[in-house]
Amino acid sequence: MSAPGIIIERPANGSRLKALLSSDAGLRIIAGVAIVLFWEIAVRLWAPAYVARPTGIVMAVPAVVSNAAFWEAAGITLSGVVQGLVIALIAGTLVGAAIGRIRLFESLLQPYLNGFFAMPMVAILPLVTLWFGYTGDARLATVVFAAFFSIALNVADGARSVPPEYIEVSRSFRGSPWSRLFDVILPSSVPYLLAGLRLAAGRALIGAIVAEFFAALPGLGYFILVNTRTFRHNDAFVAVAVLTIACVLFEVGLMRATARFLPWYRRDEAGS
Amino acid sequence: MPASNAAAARAMTYVASLALGAVAWEAAASRIGPAFLPRFTTTMARIYEYMLSGVLLDALLSSLSLFFTGLAFAIVIGIGVGLLLARMRRLRIALESYIMVLYATPMVALIPFILSMFGYGFTAKSLTVFLFAVFPILYTTIEGARSLKPELLEVARSFRSSEWEIWRDVLVPYTLPFAMTGIRLAIGRGLVGMVAAEFFLSGSGLGLLIFRSGQDFDIPGLYGGIIVITIVGVVLMGIGRALENHFAAWRGLQR
Repeated sequence: MSAPGIIIERPANGSRLKALLSSDAGLRIIAGVAIVLFWEIAVRLWAPAYVARPTGIVMAVPAVVSNAAFWEAAGITLSGVVQGLVIALIAGTLVGAAIGRIRLFESLLQPYLNGFFAMPMVAILPLVTLWFGYTGDARLATVVFAAFFSIALNVADGARSVPPEYIEVSRSFRGSPWSRLFDVILPSSVPYLLAGLRLAAGRALIGAIVAEFFAALPGLGYFILVNTRTFRHNDAFVAVAVLTIACVLFEVGLMRATARFLPWYRRDEAGS
Repeated sequence: MPASNAAAARAMTYVASLALGAVAWEAAASRIGPAFLPRFTTTMARIYEYMLSGVLLDALLSSLSLFFTGLAFAIVIGIGVGLLLARMRRLRIALESYIMVLYATPMVALIPFILSMFGYGFTAKSLTVFLFAVFPILYTTIEGARSLKPELLEVARSFRSSEWEIWRDVLVPYTLPFAMTGIRLAIGRGLVGMVAAEFFLSGSGLGLLIFRSGQDFDIPGLYGGIIVITIVGVVLMGIGRALENHFAAWRGLQR
């Protein structure tokens, strides 16, 4: 067991390399190299030749990246996700604020919000294709469905926990209900909104991919499906990597934006 | 007394809301037509039929055995590895960013790989549930471990606690509430993994029930299956939330 945090470095020998290797970044690099090596060796030893492995993926990158169809598929999937997220964000914020502030809506709709949130969204695919056909609309509907409830649920929580003093102040200055909504309730729910959006983005991407699997819609999900079926796992894995990078970038962007615009807000205060 | 009154009132509004929903559904169905939206009563009759014939119970058992197999492995491995990383600080620093990337990876995208590498048997399907469920548990356990105050370990060490005692008295009690949050998230994700596996690997359980109804244009059956799986989701999420709240008391915060 290593002693926590104390690394005594001897200045002798100018061992810069050693210092790097025992730093946090060095540890991460070592671990990364070890993972890649283990993956490569394990696949070469025990798995069939078509299974994705690091060198195969790296060699597949140029062909996939220069393939116009790949970028078209990525564009279709990601723009579908963004469109769906925007719709879910607007609708979810309004519905969430209504549920959080108006008792009647709360008692009417809260059970449905909880129920649809708990439901595994893959299950609605047969229904969505029945309603929207095997088209891009089916993907958009799945994305909206996947994203809407986590946003509405979180905004409702946020709107419910607006400090009553804020509302009172707005009332005593004779603020209109609209100004109360846009100047008090929504700004004070933003941390919850962001928590909901984080959750919603991951779910939206999953929704888009399963819709493409289910209805054979053109997009990155379908690209993965076709390439694994024809045993081009390395090519398919490039698409998985692009999806993962999109998720990580969104997450990092949201964290940066939170730190920049809402410096007082800590993520673990709002529900996840 | 007031507490139980409030609970009764809440149950009442819940029932009233569901009843209103049923009425609205029935009214909408007569406008939209049975090809897109069957009547609420027809759908309920179909669920009842499923219950009588035993189809529902079989599907439920098959789905739940898949779900709990995957979830059990996810809990054991997620918490186990998480605690291990809690004690091995340098290994944790080395691995945690990779675990975060895996947490962000949309696991559904790996289903076609699982299909061609592991086939479509029970193992492949529980592997899918496992992959969906393990990373939230692992991630929250590590997050908990990171917030473990070094003073606690120092006190334990100054009283000459053995490694086993450190685990038993400091590490596990401190980290478990965090892991419970992970388990709640894992239940939601695992359910998605379960249905995805039943749709895309090989048909079984509730997933097959829904899928086949869709293929046969058995619309009441389709809606019925979706309602059943929603109820399963609500119950399982409720259990997860109850677990989380129970252990949250250890963290000293009431939710």
